[in-house]
Amino acid sequence: MSTLAPSVGIIANPVSARDIRRVIANASNLQTADRVNIVLRLLSTLAELGVGKVFMMPDKSGMRPLLSRQLNRESQLGHGFPEVEYLDFPVTSTVEDTFRATRLMREAGVKAMIVLGGDGTHRAVARECGDIPIAGLSTGTNNAFPEMREPTLTAMAVALYATGKLSRAEALSGNKVIEISINHGERKDIAIVDAVISHERVIGARALWRPESLNALYLTFADPEVIGLSAIGGLLQPTTRESPDGLMIELASDPAKAQFNLRAPIAPGMMRDIPIANWAPLKAGVDYPVALDAGVVALDGEREMTFKPGEHVNVSLVSQAFFTVDVTRCLQLGAVNGLFRF
Amino acid sequence: MAGNPFPLNKGQLLEAYRKMKTIREFEERLHVDFGRGDIPGFVHLYAGEEASATGIMAHLGDGDRIASTHRGHGHCIAKGVDIVAMMKEIYGKKGGSCNGKGGSMHIADLSKGMMGANGILGAGAPLACGAALAAKLRKKGEVAITFVGDGASNQGTFLESLNLAAVWNLPTIFVVENNGYAESTSRDYGTAVDSYVDRAAGFGMPGVTVDGTDFFAVYEAAGEIIRRAREGGGPTLLECKMVRFHGHFEGDAQTYRGPGENEENRNNKDCLKKFSAEVAGSGVITLDELKAIDADVMRLIEHAVAEAKAAPFPTLADLTTDVYIKY
Repeated sequence: MSTLAPSVGIIANPVSARDIRRVIANASNLQTADRVNIVLRLLSTLAELGVGKVFMMPDKSGMRPLLSRQLNRESQLGHGFPEVEYLDFPVTSTVEDTFRATRLMREAGVKAMIVLGGDGTHRAVARECGDIPIAGLSTGTNNAFPEMREPTLTAMAVALYATGKLSRAEALSGNKVIEISINHGERKDIAIVDAVISHERVIGARALWRPESLNALYLTFADPEVIGLSAIGGLLQPTTRESPDGLMIELASDPAKAQFNLRAPIAPGMMRDIPIANWAPLKAGVDYPVALDAGVVALDGEREMTFKPGEHVNVSLVSQAFFTVDVTRCLQLGAVNGLFRF
Repeated sequence: MAGNPFPLNKGQLLEAYRKMKTIREFEERLHVDFGRGDIPGFVHLYAGEEASATGIMAHLGDGDRIASTHRGHGHCIAKGVDIVAMMKEIYGKKGGSCNGKGGSMHIADLSKGMMGANGILGAGAPLACGAALAAKLRKKGEVAITFVGDGASNQGTFLESLNLAAVWNLPTIFVVENNGYAESTSRDYGTAVDSYVDRAAGFGMPGVTVDGTDFFAVYEAAGEIIRRAREGGGPTLLECKMVRFHGHFEGDAQTYRGPGENEENRNNKDCLKKFSAEVAGSGVITLDELKAIDADVMRLIEHAVAEAKAAPFPTLADLTTDVYIKY
């Protein structure tokens, strides 16, 4: 596939924000109809700023028929949209769809990908996007990675980059990831915000919310203004996305051995006391073996990998692993350079 | 081995496996016997969906009520209904759970809190609300659970029940067993907004989606939801995404399925295989222990079928008995 008009991909996860945190933390749920409305706002904005084509990830959760109905209605009203092409592959309704859509969008030559989802969705795209930049929109639960922003603004920034009005150097920022390797590469994965080692031993309902189950945290950045497990780092030792280091935190399995308890929002509205043993910068390019004998690795908020006694788990921080559209910088440059003057 | 990694002890794990295996073999035997013409009426098989019933019912006692669906055998078995009595009932024989007069789609056992399978789609939801209201008034911390398929979740009764449970803050749990098909109609075709979590949000209650082929995912989510309901936290919707191994009904040619879909389901989405691999791989339970259960279950099913075949049919004199029940 190839296209001459500047094209953008949209990966809208229809199933983010559906997990157990709706029950244990009263977490919010962005409804399918609202997700479709976000896509419509993205499309109309991209069209106005010169993006000719948009590739969409297919789904079997109701977004495609809703969007088709809305696009039909809008076109009858004379509203302009880019050409919308759904990628053609069998939908599995698993994260494999996100992986596959990301790869296909790369092959189609999109200039950027706009991602609707939580940290987990963004992680899936980051694994496969290569040097194609991501612009994230938060529709998940904890949302440490994607920013909360009106989608119109995100689309404006993406359009400036996609149409060549801003260069890579001007528009993009590099991001760190944490690489997890079990048994020297036998199983590998990444986290874009937090890799958490837990005493839990099954994947189960995926989320982690019991403080006593936490063993250690490895963070790419730690922002005191986010919630989720990385908030522990944010309130302990803020570490920016731009910092060359990440942050590692060891928790006390015996509360009596904790230096102190840190009260942190580990899920929406869920403040919990976390017994802190030690913390230190996480240096890029250094191997950090996990001390726990057996447990689960949670990546960006969800239990993903189990490990048994005798299995070796290694953590390492990688710089400049993937790129994001810096929306704030793009809009400021767009304004200063008169890029919105027509 | 570093202890038991699971949220259930060894005995509970073995019991969960026994329940799931019993459901599977019960249904596979009905598949064969119905095909031979041994069983009257219709049967709708639950094979492939065992993790949902078993993961949820592991948190319930006899005082907790469930309202089942037309595909109710798995719910009965997981709730503890006697296997021989169930088989007799499905064969339409005296001594069955309802003395042979309910059959597959009206099988019930109130002593186990199983209020009945139901031939009317979506009809269980209001019944569960009634049971939940009774539980709320009794103040013993009991709950009521209704199961519906993804098709029945479009019925007015279901949507009205969500509203009723929300406004009365009832300890009702709405379990949507989403196997992707309303009879033969794909969910994508027949449901406008098919996130069931969205449905729950529309009524101001939380909704959760889990992998219904993963026993531990269902068990953990259901545990939190049921605990919440017992403590006065009100209703919740739980969507279990799953697959059914057989057609909508026995005899269904399944022309609506994609190529290789049934094989894919059996090979890669089998909740029993997943459970066995996980528990046996951990070293907590051995394969021999699972095989011993398999043998027990097969003996039990054989015994139940033999008893059912040998039992007499109800007589005309039985026709007017059991019409009403005293509470």
